[in-house]
Amino acid sequence: MLESRWRRRLGTGIAATAAILAIASTTLGAPAAEVVVPPACAGDGPPSASPRAAAWYRLDPVIDAGVRTGQRLEIGRTGGPAWSVGLDPESFATGPFHGLVVMGTDDGRRSTVSVADLDRGCTTVVATSRDVIRRAVLAPDGATMYEFRVGRRDRADLGVWRRSPGSDDAQQVLEPIPADPAFGITWVTDLAWSTDGQALVVSSCGEAACRIRVLDTTTGRVQTVADPTLGGFVGLADDRVVVRGACPGLPCPIAAVDLRDGTQRVIADAAGLATLVADENGQNVVVHESDASGGVLRTVSLDGVAGKTFAAPDGLRPLVTLHGSGADLPAGWLVLGPDGRLPALPGKDARAHHLADGQTLRLDEVLP
Amino acid sequence: MTISSRFRRVLPLFAITTVLVGAAIAPPVVVVAHAPDPEFSGALWAQDERLTFRWRAGAEPPAVMKTAILNGAADSNATRASRAATFAYEASGASPIGYGLHATCSVGGLACFTRTAPSGGFTMWFREQGHAFDWGSLRWCQMYSTAPNGCYDVQTVALDEFGHVEILDHHVNFGDKSDYLDAVVQTVSRTKPSAGWDMHTYGRCDTATLQKRYDMQTWSAKYSTCLTLNTALTLSASPTTVLSGASTRLTVVLKVAGADAYGRLRDNPVSNRTVTLQRRVPGSTTWATVGSMAASATGGTYATSVTLVSRTEFRAVFSTPAVEGLVGSVSAIVTVGVCNRSCLLTQPMS
Repeated sequence: MLESRWRRRLGTGIAATAAILAIASTTLGAPAAEVVVPPACAGDGPPSASPRAAAWYRLDPVIDAGVRTGQRLEIGRTGGPAWSVGLDPESFATGPFHGLVVMGTDDGRRSTVSVADLDRGCTTVVATSRDVIRRAVLAPDGATMYEFRVGRRDRADLGVWRRSPGSDDAQQVLEPIPADPAFGITWVTDLAWSTDGQALVVSSCGEAACRIRVLDTTTGRVQTVADPTLGGFVGLADDRVVVRGACPGLPCPIAAVDLRDGTQRVIADAAGLATLVADENGQNVVVHESDASGGVLRTVSLDGVAGKTFAAPDGLRPLVTLHGSGADLPAGWLVLGPDGRLPALPGKDARAHHLADGQTLRLDEVLP
Repeated sequence: MTISSRFRRVLPLFAITTVLVGAAIAPPVVVVAHAPDPEFSGALWAQDERLTFRWRAGAEPPAVMKTAILNGAADSNATRASRAATFAYEASGASPIGYGLHATCSVGGLACFTRTAPSGGFTMWFREQGHAFDWGSLRWCQMYSTAPNGCYDVQTVALDEFGHVEILDHHVNFGDKSDYLDAVVQTVSRTKPSAGWDMHTYGRCDTATLQKRYDMQTWSAKYSTCLTLNTALTLSASPTTVLSGASTRLTVVLKVAGADAYGRLRDNPVSNRTVTLQRRVPGSTTWATVGSMAASATGGTYATSVTLVSRTEFRAVFSTPAVEGLVGSVSAIVTVGVCNRSCLLTQPMS
């Protein structure tokens, strides 16, 4: 019975492996009341995404005497209560997916993946594994989860697996990426979605360069971009993978690789932080800093056509979702935060910028 | 049919590997293996500019890492072999160096940086001990009383990062990596005990690029052996005609050739090298060595006086040195005439 299994796992999963800290919600617009541990979700089914739900998260290492001893995950409903969850040193968070945040933690013997439903204020354990689950993301409908695993003993790539949240049955959908000396050993494998939610992007990054596999979850088609001059993933839209150069730092070029014919176009020569968003017309654009220090933002189409140039409000920087924080926002809005991340409690220091009219609001003033 | 089996069948049919030429992202100038390091994007700092840094508030490295980072900065200053910027810690320094967070880092890597030259400063981040990668947990050697195999040396990584901040991009190695020790600024960092895991000086191909972009500290300083710079010798005599038994002064100027590709090194005077003066009887094919020419106070200038009793041809020779990246050169021939007093009256003096 799914329900009882989730409840049982929650008790031995997050609750057992993580120290849950109650914090006071300081999100602007939220009641300043102390909140408690997100309880286990009640109900018969898996967590489901709600198009009108909005959540945020931020993940930080906990460092004691210079050593990572764990990670602290701050999660909350935008404009609502927030929680702080302690995770093991090897842990992750992804999302949010319309009010849901996926969090995973590995205690050295078992990986446990849970989904926090911030709209309902509860969590559900959705997967456990003796392999190390390094990353997991929910499909946009919340009904399917994809996870990347490595072997516990040898840390070998075990590929990408798919399961229904809460189900024990997982099926491999992508094989381990083959070794290639041009990229070196894989340091980080990340999972992300195309803007239309149809394709899963699996980026396997060496110390500098990345290989990107794009899995069409409907047809099963896999396309691979493997160029040692290309680095971290920025976004996928309109059959074009937007990536950075294989740079050790910033500024760095940004390129769009057309999956239809493999052509590559540099759309920014020396950009700072960058993200892919839909503009007011529903067109996908890259918003990037004009240099490494931020301050000035530019938009550019995936064809390389320059758009707007505007000052970053309050010196904030565009949120880069792969850097351990994220927030739900409607299309056409850009999330900004200090240093390109949400603050630990995204109150007055987080902003949402409307690309169409330049309006800048507090994050909690912009709900889906 | 399981999903995995379906994908195994589909994969060969649909999977395409887009191996791109990379002409757009790759540096516009083709960098061949063993060449000077490629250059990172952005402007240069001023020559010998003193860049100050501080520890990032709320993300300070532990004490042992601070020491190693400071040592890395000192290594950069001591071995830059050029007029590249120097780094100095100050409590209120302009540029923050942090530990543990990774706002501006890409997903991989041990550390990262930003640079906003010439006036915007830089940032630097080091990932924390125990950071979990796909391959396992990060170990910094300095965090142990006895560094274990498999750890990364903070001081080496810091020197790599300071090199990036200067202008350096990753060195392009030979396919077999036999030239790995020619640069500390490398794409792939090495762990103890692999060769190069604890390099605390810039390699010759690091300093080659620093020299090209920031110039030499003195005209006497040695050019990196990762460079191959042509030189030019210009010989002159004064006077060009002398009485028999009198002397002429031969002066030669040694410079780096004037090629645009040499950057700031083009036309540099080259001082305190060995320049040899040779002579021969006009019509002869054999040169005889007069001796080494003495360096004069003016940069790149050498001079010698020679007493003549007959018309003589001279040339200066700078042999390719083994210890630096200069290519030898030979001057054009200068002829000095000798005649009696009546002859001098009819010939112009130089």
